[in-house]
Amino acid sequence: MPTALMKRLWLVVGAGAISVLLGIALIGSRQAPGEGEAVQAGASMEQSQPIQFPHDTHAGQFLINCQYCHYSAERSVDAGIPPVETCIGCHREGLIDGRNIPEEIVKVREHYDSGTAIPWRRIYKVSDHVHFPHMRHVAAGVSCQTCHGQVQEMGVLEEMAPEAGNLKMGWCISCHLERGASRDCTVCHY
Amino acid sequence: MSGGFERREFLKVIGVTGAGAAVTGCRTDEVERLIPYVTPPEEITPGVATWYASTCGECASGCGIRVRTREGRVVMVEGNPDHPVSAGGLCSRGVSALQGLYNADRIATPLRATGDGGFEAVGWDEALDLLASRLGGGGRSLFLTGAKGPTESMLLDGFVEAVGGQRVVYDALDDTALRTAVEIAFGVNVLPRYEIAAARFLVSFGADFLETWLSPVKFAADFAQMHGVENGEKGRFAFVGPRLSLTGQNADEWIPARAGSETAIALAVAGELVRRGGDAGPYNDVVSGYSLEDAAAAAGVEPEALSALADHFAGGDALALGPGLAGSHQAATAANLAVLILNAAAGSLGNTMHIDAAPAGDASSYGDLAGAIAQMGAGSYGVAVVSGANPAYTLPPAAAFGDAFGAVPFKVAFATAMDETAAMADLVLPDAHPLESWGDSRPSPGTYAVRQPAMRPVPLFDSRPMADVLLDTGQRLGHDFGAATFRDYLRGAFDRWLAEDGMRAGLAGDPNRLWRVALRTGSVSHVDLSDKITALQPPVTAVDFDAAGVAGGGAAGDDELTLLVYPSPRFGDGTHANRPWLQELPDPVSKVMWHSWVEMNPATADRLGLRQGDIVSVATPEGSVEVPVWAYPGIREDVVAIAMGGGHTDYGQFANGKGVNPMGLLAGDVDGDSGALSLLAAGVTITATGAWQRLVTNEGSSDQDDRNVAPAIALSALGHAPEEEEHAEDGHGQLRELQEMGGFRPVDTEGRAEDFPLPGSDFGPYDENQPRWAMAMDLDKCTGCSACITACQAENNIPWVHENQAAIGREMHWLRLERYYETVDASHSGPVDIRFLPMLCQHCNNAPCEPVCPVFAAYHTPDGLNAQAYNRCVGTRYCANNCPYKVRVFNWYRYTQDPADGGNIPEPMNWQFNPDVTVRNNGVMEKCTFCVQRIREAQNRAAVEEREVRDGEVHTACQSVCPADVITFGNIRDHDSQVAARAGDERTYRVLDALINTQPAVHYLKKVTHHDVEEAGH
Repeated sequence: MPTALMKRLWLVVGAGAISVLLGIALIGSRQAPGEGEAVQAGASMEQSQPIQFPHDTHAGQFLINCQYCHYSAERSVDAGIPPVETCIGCHREGLIDGRNIPEEIVKVREHYDSGTAIPWRRIYKVSDHVHFPHMRHVAAGVSCQTCHGQVQEMGVLEEMAPEAGNLKMGWCISCHLERGASRDCTVCHY
Repeated sequence: MSGGFERREFLKVIGVTGAGAAVTGCRTDEVERLIPYVTPPEEITPGVATWYASTCGECASGCGIRVRTREGRVVMVEGNPDHPVSAGGLCSRGVSALQGLYNADRIATPLRATGDGGFEAVGWDEALDLLASRLGGGGRSLFLTGAKGPTESMLLDGFVEAVGGQRVVYDALDDTALRTAVEIAFGVNVLPRYEIAAARFLVSFGADFLETWLSPVKFAADFAQMHGVENGEKGRFAFVGPRLSLTGQNADEWIPARAGSETAIALAVAGELVRRGGDAGPYNDVVSGYSLEDAAAAAGVEPEALSALADHFAGGDALALGPGLAGSHQAATAANLAVLILNAAAGSLGNTMHIDAAPAGDASSYGDLAGAIAQMGAGSYGVAVVSGANPAYTLPPAAAFGDAFGAVPFKVAFATAMDETAAMADLVLPDAHPLESWGDSRPSPGTYAVRQPAMRPVPLFDSRPMADVLLDTGQRLGHDFGAATFRDYLRGAFDRWLAEDGMRAGLAGDPNRLWRVALRTGSVSHVDLSDKITALQPPVTAVDFDAAGVAGGGAAGDDELTLLVYPSPRFGDGTHANRPWLQELPDPVSKVMWHSWVEMNPATADRLGLRQGDIVSVATPEGSVEVPVWAYPGIREDVVAIAMGGGHTDYGQFANGKGVNPMGLLAGDVDGDSGALSLLAAGVTITATGAWQRLVTNEGSSDQDDRNVAPAIALSALGHAPEEEEHAEDGHGQLRELQEMGGFRPVDTEGRAEDFPLPGSDFGPYDENQPRWAMAMDLDKCTGCSACITACQAENNIPWVHENQAAIGREMHWLRLERYYETVDASHSGPVDIRFLPMLCQHCNNAPCEPVCPVFAAYHTPDGLNAQAYNRCVGTRYCANNCPYKVRVFNWYRYTQDPADGGNIPEPMNWQFNPDVTVRNNGVMEKCTFCVQRIREAQNRAAVEEREVRDGEVHTACQSVCPADVITFGNIRDHDSQVAARAGDERTYRVLDALINTQPAVHYLKKVTHHDVEEAGH
């Protein structure tokens, strides 16, 4: 009766393993809320941007091209975060002072004058094992909004809703399929 | 048991539970910051590498490098193809500059000795004030420095003169015996310039010119040109000496002459040439007194071998090199002179060997150093400054450096990392690494090569370049050297060089433009304008050619053993021992990692009752070391050898206690004529300790058995090889698949490899329009130098695993260099045949690893790569078990993490990680990707520029350092590509393909031998 024996064995081993794993999961879930609250308490400062940069004003109202600030998107894997100098190009003392939020412009100038970088909070990030070459997508005519949402309408930049599958592999693949782009693993993973 | 738990259901439950646990443990609300530039540096585009041309500072050869930086951080060093010296090659030590730059043991701040053996951190201002007050405070100063670039040397000399001191140049890899011999023979203190590529016959009297001697990268390139088969012809190379170094392993013939017998052989062959009508000028009388028979008797070899040597020399276009460092003995100048005379008698002068009329470079000898040591001991110096040298480690204890140095009242060390000498100093000043510094080199009178910083000094270490410290200190002492920074000083030196040599060399134009050319390409050069000396001069100094090279040796009895200490191909004199890449790089000769070994002939081991791995005590009257035996058929029975570079006591976590330092066995004997240190010791005794250790090696077997993994073809057989069915379309032959009853049956594909794997078994479309990446390696050119391994490791974020893991075969190299003995016999002269085979993932079209992967992590890409999707891999290791080439490696532990997280890579050594390559963690299988990140980068660039990827645009990391042009990479579907051309060569074969039908994408070109080859059949 080797089959029956094996099944009995599986039952015993299985039950043991499940109880151990469930135990770990329960301990984990019991501990998690406490830690979660601690994180959330200090989150408002952490989670907000150091300067309230309105994408809707720049990209929406004034129709500034995305690549004016994200300067390397068409020639590099990285889109490029604008140097403070780019901000100052328009927001120099005596030029544009920011009608709605002048105090934010003052912060930008302080950063520039003191030579300190603005520690932006990162919104979009693919995992470390994913390589997303911006230039290929720009060259293929994919609009920035396809992956980053309607940025020109956002006062505060937010990641596209996770329900839309944003930045998940299946979402990438569906677009690659639609456009007939390669869906070989080593196009992104190496 | 019908109602029982099914295995499948059980796995489902386990899966769900596991996922639940994982979710609760995972945190996604961590805030990551994006830090932009305030003002962007002009040359940096985020995500795009910036390259700098520079000059390697790891040894005195001055090879050209290209430094790859990402966002201002150095991540890779490669050869510079535009460089007049190295022509695109680099060695392992050059690549390991990265680990010198980011070494975890670098000194972070200036240190002042506290008097109780410790150090305290001080600020630069305080340190410089202290230095200035001591230098200006009376007492002579001694400056003990390694070889420096010409401009830094000029500044140093000026500084030494201004503060009233003396400078001694000390390089443990001493070439003064050769310089002295040239001075005697030609009246000028220079190193000869060898043109190996112009020779048809080359003989090395023990000179390790492919590893450590003079300029190994340049020599390897020239040697590949001379010795690689081209149009059915190839040069011939004979090695004369007691031990086959890596250089010797590349020889066609070996004359295993007794240590110290080079002089007799060279003079006897020269005498024979003179008898046949050659001319040795003023030495005609001397050489006629030497006969081949006597020389053969002295060397313990057959007279016929020497007369054959003479025949080859008489054939013209010959060149003799040597005797080099491994043959550095008490009559080294005589031996060097004898080889120069042989070259003159063979007509090599002005043909394959050139002597510049103008002296160049710094040189002092061990003898000068010994003088300085005596004066230090006598209290003649108030201050001793050491830079770029580690005499406390590299000198034999007999030199008594430690006591003398300790007696100097104030000792200063400029060093990037703490070493044995710096540990004795009163003030340690953190020096900048060459990759962070300005400098230059002048490889020939018409050439100027620049070194420029490729990044700002690593911010964790508050280092300053020594040259800038000298300028600063000079200012404090009131000496003006005409520049505030060394960069300005160098710029002035460049203008002066242009005005003198440059103008004569035909380099006219705006100095600013030429300076920019130098910065962009690494060098400016025009014609070689040096005047040459074309004849031997009457000797100004009488040299005793009959002096014994080895005291008490030479005519030693059969049981007498001579110890030969040689510079390590990995560590040189030990300077590079603090680089874990090099520690874990299998030694090109022994394939041993992390520890030292003593080489002895298997017959000697038998006679002494020893086996491989037995730990023996190697003793001379000076001292003894305990080291395991490595049995090597490529060494004479009366010689044992130990490499330099091991046994550090104060050189950081990667060097301390690794191996033994053989310098302690030397008596400090010198060559009387030049003062060079003798590296031979006669009368060494070997005693078993009774202990045994498993050698830490990646050598599976030195014998191919009957597998014929690295076949060869005789030169005479070239052009007559039967056309094999192998070389059909795309280099793929008849495709076969496994049949049920064993063996293979042909698959009807009309020769198209893309029809295999069969429809349905592949993933994704096998697109006709996709390239098919392939590699070709010319084994006739491969010297086994192993630079490719280090380059691969640097490019692909491959961790080191340390000695204990490497000992059980867990080293992570994606590329290894197989070395197989075919014909090696130390008992008589004759052909030697040792085969090298760089083994990496073969990217099989019919890959055995792919079908066994349960999660499709190992699969084939549409462009012909055997890919490994790390995040799919669950670590079953089935693929590695099924790989016939043993090229898959597994992350058993978290090797790539910080030691605090159980890994091996301490901050900031992880700064070197290539951001284009995923850093793998434990539980993941990995292997060569054909540098897929470079392929994708080229494809991205081509797509943006709306063109195709050009042939030769993608260089793999291994290819980008190979000095011998072994490796070609490209799209084999393009019939005009270089790789297709090489793959179509009659020498092409693919490893194990005929046996197991793997259809590899790596094509090897067989080694070509001068002797007939008996191949074991399959």
